Amino acid sequence: MTAISTRGLVKTYGRGRRGLAGLDLQVESGEVYGYLGPNGAGKSTTIRILLDLIRPTGGEVSVLGLDPRRDGVELRRRIGYLAGDFVVAGRQTGRQLLAYLSGLRGGRGRDRFAQLAHRLDLDLDRPIRGLSKGNRQKVGLVQAFMHEPELLVLDEPTSGLDPFLQQEFVHLVREATARGATVFMSSHVMSEVQQTADRVGIIRDGRLITVESVHSLREHAVRSVTLTLAGPAPADEFQGLPGFTDVTVTGATVRGRLAGHTDELVKAAARHTVVDLLCEEPDLDEIFFHFYGDQHVAA
Amino acid sequence: MLLLRALWENRRSLPGWTVAIAGVGLMYAAFWPSMRTPEMSKALAAYPQDMLAAFNMSDLTSAAGYLGSTVYGLMAPLLIAVFAITWGARAVAGDEGEGTLDLILAHPVGRLTLALQRFAALLAGLVVVGAALLAAMLAVRGAAQLGDVPVGGLVAMNLQLVLLGACLGAVAFAAGAATGSRAVALGAGAVVAVVGYLANSVMPMVDGLSWTRNGSIFHWYLGGSPMLDGLQPGAAALAATAVLLVLAGSFVFTRRDIG
Repeated sequence: MTAISTRGLVKTYGRGRRGLAGLDLQVESGEVYGYLGPNGAGKSTTIRILLDLIRPTGGEVSVLGLDPRRDGVELRRRIGYLAGDFVVAGRQTGRQLLAYLSGLRGGRGRDRFAQLAHRLDLDLDRPIRGLSKGNRQKVGLVQAFMHEPELLVLDEPTSGLDPFLQQEFVHLVREATARGATVFMSSHVMSEVQQTADRVGIIRDGRLITVESVHSLREHAVRSVTLTLAGPAPADEFQGLPGFTDVTVTGATVRGRLAGHTDELVKAAARHTVVDLLCEEPDLDEIFFHFYGDQHVAA
Repeated sequence: MLLLRALWENRRSLPGWTVAIAGVGLMYAAFWPSMRTPEMSKALAAYPQDMLAAFNMSDLTSAAGYLGSTVYGLMAPLLIAVFAITWGARAVAGDEGEGTLDLILAHPVGRLTLALQRFAALLAGLVVVGAALLAAMLAVRGAAQLGDVPVGGLVAMNLQLVLLGACLGAVAFAAGAATGSRAVALGAGAVVAVVGYLANSVMPMVDGLSWTRNGSIFHWYLGGSPMLDGLQPGAAALAATAVLLVLAGSFVFTRRDIG
């Protein structure tokens, strides 16, 4: 069963600005799909088409077996959506807004939002305009999850959230998938994608470049490593290690970029006294560069 | 649900407009007894007739003429126009411009339903304002010596006023729904109101331009004498135009991208 499927999806905005240039996307029912790409690649365009907020210029799209254009109301009943720039009018309190939104869903979620807000440590009785960006984002998360939808479409869901709440978000996603929901989310934060997603699609210039399992994405991922030893580092021991490139040695410090397994580098370092080992989170930009670089060569 | 919500979101402005418009009616009605003195008639006769006509003050000697020149000729339609155009412009383009329409449309809400209910809320607001003005005029009818104006005429006049508001509101609503721009919506409403007013009151004074009157919504609203003879054909023209504009604007709204 396919939750989201697009074929040759094209969206052209006025003045020739390209949104999507023939997007083929398959998201299976019950999976968590991370949708990655640099700004302007077409992530939000895709998401807004799924919700029928904008209309494609060409191609086909089917969500939960329905056409967003024709069966939009029925479809959106079954979707929870969090916009990338979640904005709501500021005078009302979170409680008023959530009660209204659940009213639009025939009261679904009304009995759940207070408990969700409590989990996220969100005060529902303050006017929304007085809330920080992170707290507003929590309101957005609550309204997306409160009616336990079959499909969650989340655009940059954890932007503005602190690490504790990012963790709580991961729990929310896991609970949703445990009851069979599908999650489609765009992100810039590698760690949240790694913790939640089963597969990752990478988009650039309105086209899906690659779909990978999170596992293989990590294999491809280049980490930047800084290793500090107790004494001067022998350059020859660290140069030529498999997967370890761009190596520079200055005094006791070894810097380089590591792809694939960490094992050889750790074993090489273990022959010395290691003062510090810093292995930085794979940078999404570098992952993009990796895939885009490949494509460039192929072209 | 959406209709009630739209009314709720205007809960701060609606009472103010209602009081202001009913208050203007009361104020002018209260002046009427003093307008009936010979001194006043003489003073008014000294004004150039064209100038008086430009302010819809063509007949200040009868009660119906006085109300038609003052309350219903200038102040009430002016206030109703501002009220209806600002609300109509806000109806769809307001929260779209603020980026908050996305959230509502991501819920199980059809765009046509949303647009029509929001216009219906504006209509309800206009009826409240119109009814308040009517109630105020009926309340002081005896005391202000306005007994020459039939009750049915006052009802008809206020209904035409509400329809004028509906028509101007529909212009702004349709422009906003079709483009998503509140500025465009306000501009469209203002242009139609101003041109309509000039085409009814000023342009007909120029030889060869009297035909412009027939296309003016102010002529549809004031033409004939609703205050004495009841509803005029202009009421139908106002209603039909409003319906067409609302349907056209909503239709475009269902087909375009949300900004």
